[in-house]
Amino acid sequence: MAENEGDHEADLDAFLDKFRGPERYERAFSPETWEQEFEKIPMFMKKAPSEIDPEQNPDLACLQSIIFDEEQTLEEQAKTYKNEGNDYFKEKDYKKAVISYTEGLNKKCSDQELNVVLHTNRAAAQFYLGNYRSALSDVIAARKLKSNHLKAVVRGALCHLELQHFSEAMMWCEEGLRIDPKEKKLLETRAKADRLKRTKERDLRKARLQEKKEQAQKDSLFKAIEDRNIKLSPVSSKDGNVISASLAEMSLDGFNSESAIGAKVCLDENGSLSWPVLFLYPEHGQSDLISAFHEESRFIEHLMVMFEELPPWDTERKYYPSQLELYYEDEEREEIYQICTQSTLLQALQHQRYFVKAGTPIFFILVKLAPFSKNYFGGKKVHWLK
Amino acid sequence: MDEQQAQELLAFLHPETRLDLKGHATQYVMGLTGGPEGRQLLATRPDFVEALLALTGDASGAVAKDAYRAVINLASEPGAHQALKKGLPTLLQRVLDPGYPLADQACAVLSNLSREEASCRDLLVALQQEAGGLAAVVDAFCTEGFNAKASLHYLGPLLSNLSQLPQARGFLLDRSRCVVQRLLPYTQSSGSSLRRGGVVGTLRNCCFDYGHHKWLLSDQVDLLPFLLLPLAGPEEFPEDEMERLPLDLQYLPPEKQREPDPDIRKMLLETVLLLTATKPGRQLVRERGAYFILRELHKWEADPGVLAACEKLILVLIGEEPGPGMENLLEVEVPAEVEEQLQRLDREEEERQQAASGSDDRQAV
Repeated sequence: MAENEGDHEADLDAFLDKFRGPERYERAFSPETWEQEFEKIPMFMKKAPSEIDPEQNPDLACLQSIIFDEEQTLEEQAKTYKNEGNDYFKEKDYKKAVISYTEGLNKKCSDQELNVVLHTNRAAAQFYLGNYRSALSDVIAARKLKSNHLKAVVRGALCHLELQHFSEAMMWCEEGLRIDPKEKKLLETRAKADRLKRTKERDLRKARLQEKKEQAQKDSLFKAIEDRNIKLSPVSSKDGNVISASLAEMSLDGFNSESAIGAKVCLDENGSLSWPVLFLYPEHGQSDLISAFHEESRFIEHLMVMFEELPPWDTERKYYPSQLELYYEDEEREEIYQICTQSTLLQALQHQRYFVKAGTPIFFILVKLAPFSKNYFGGKKVHWLK
Repeated sequence: MDEQQAQELLAFLHPETRLDLKGHATQYVMGLTGGPEGRQLLATRPDFVEALLALTGDASGAVAKDAYRAVINLASEPGAHQALKKGLPTLLQRVLDPGYPLADQACAVLSNLSREEASCRDLLVALQQEAGGLAAVVDAFCTEGFNAKASLHYLGPLLSNLSQLPQARGFLLDRSRCVVQRLLPYTQSSGSSLRRGGVVGTLRNCCFDYGHHKWLLSDQVDLLPFLLLPLAGPEEFPEDEMERLPLDLQYLPPEKQREPDPDIRKMLLETVLLLTATKPGRQLVRERGAYFILRELHKWEADPGVLAACEKLILVLIGEEPGPGMENLLEVEVPAEVEEQLQRLDREEEERQQAASGSDDRQAV
């Protein structure tokens, strides 16, 4: 292209200007946008627009109206949509293929063979889109029109396989094999469905057996608790209603699933229980959790270990094992019971007014003769050790 | 019954006869077929057999049923088979007609007829010519509720008998089709021992030809688990043993029961034994943990015949591999005197068993 370098070239420019700007012939490409304009001509389109707007693409809209001529019979129109769908299908544009086949079916033409093909092809497009249920209903519609349509049967079997309906997949394969006993895809699909079905059945058996075992374990655990005459406290549900005592056992599970600690009462092979036990130190707002407190262990044994060294929060240096007193609260009656630190956990839990709440026995610990204790008990009745 | 009486009776055995007379006459003949002499007598009278066959299609259900009973009885008499042959096409079509109400009776006739090799061959020919071939029989067998009014359990023994013919086995074992695979689940179907026994018998017949073993044991058919599953009980296996078992035998529930019929258990064991005839077969059966199932079966089994079959199989599995040239147990040439001795031992064992368990009235299929 010429460049304007100086005045002496002005004449030439004027001459050339005639070929630009307003004097161009009508409907000529503009030099700036000729590529875009070029592509708007149907013959040179590299890609057809997804929606044809008569304003923007008058040529295309015109052509389309020739293809989908309203004066054509319904059969011809449906067939055109089928061909369009097939073209999209070949380009792997399954969404558009589905739209075209749907248009074709909407014509409700009387050519059943064509409707069968439309249903079967739409099923295939839906299948590739992963819409196995839609694909299946198309396949079923196709078979209603033509029950021995092998392609539809194969597609149906594949849909069931993808949907993990293995028995149905096998049934469809067998129906198809009745039409063509040596159809490779059907033989292959049947074998695959069979294998998957048997694997799934095995997994189900395994899960069921596992469940049974867990239930048996739970049962023996509750029996052990019951045999010891340990009482589980009824738990309050979220809406504040008290759940019946028979549901109290649920609280053991409830604790397990809700607690981050994950400790849970368990029964060992010797038939002994170990409990998660929570110690509270109300004077300092502290606590300790013993995740597995054997029921035959004595409190003092644990206290000896825990307070072998004074904890950092004990600034007054008074939490010596020998100075510690053990209590629990009967929440229902709002009474306090003292327990001897020499007793075992089992003895404490068997106390007539002890209720295990949320699967975790709780005790609190105070220091002998501490002024805090008196305030802490407030007006509550305390059953002291005799 | 002299000739004149016979002719008079025969005249009543006709669809056009008055219903009450026809009914009485049919009942009378049916009674005759209840005993061996009556059967032998009627077997020599093709005219009677033909008349009875015609009456199986009688408009009166009661007459048709009696006629069927007579024909079923006659079909157990090889002498009558030639005369019954004419009825084959009709009977086959009726068995394979989903709407035919007396299909079970027709099926029982065919099952009895097929016990004998010659009639079995005739039956197969008629089946191929007139009724859609063996494929139709397998299809009817495997389609649940094929006939709402008939169970078609007798298709089991019929299939088993047919599978004695190489031509039928050729179809059942056609690798470009899916036939034997469809039968497999029926080794464990809870419903009918006729069905289970029929399928197991069919599978055993299919295993006589070791050329098919590799395919039958491959993933394409996966025969072994279907033979072992009915032999497995509710016992739990340790993890290492469980892992070796085929999928279908893993984690069986505590309510799992073994095949209740000792004859079927024995056939199952014999079928597995056949599969161990070749070296690769033995290896595969060993790898899949068959021994664990047999070990538990052996602890539980009370039937001496089944126990013997179980022990025989265990010996093959835990025994040393035979020397070169002897690997294929179905092809080993047994010296005449050894064979004779083995047969004598087998006979003695059988006699011992019969003495132990009373006479075995089950007819071999």
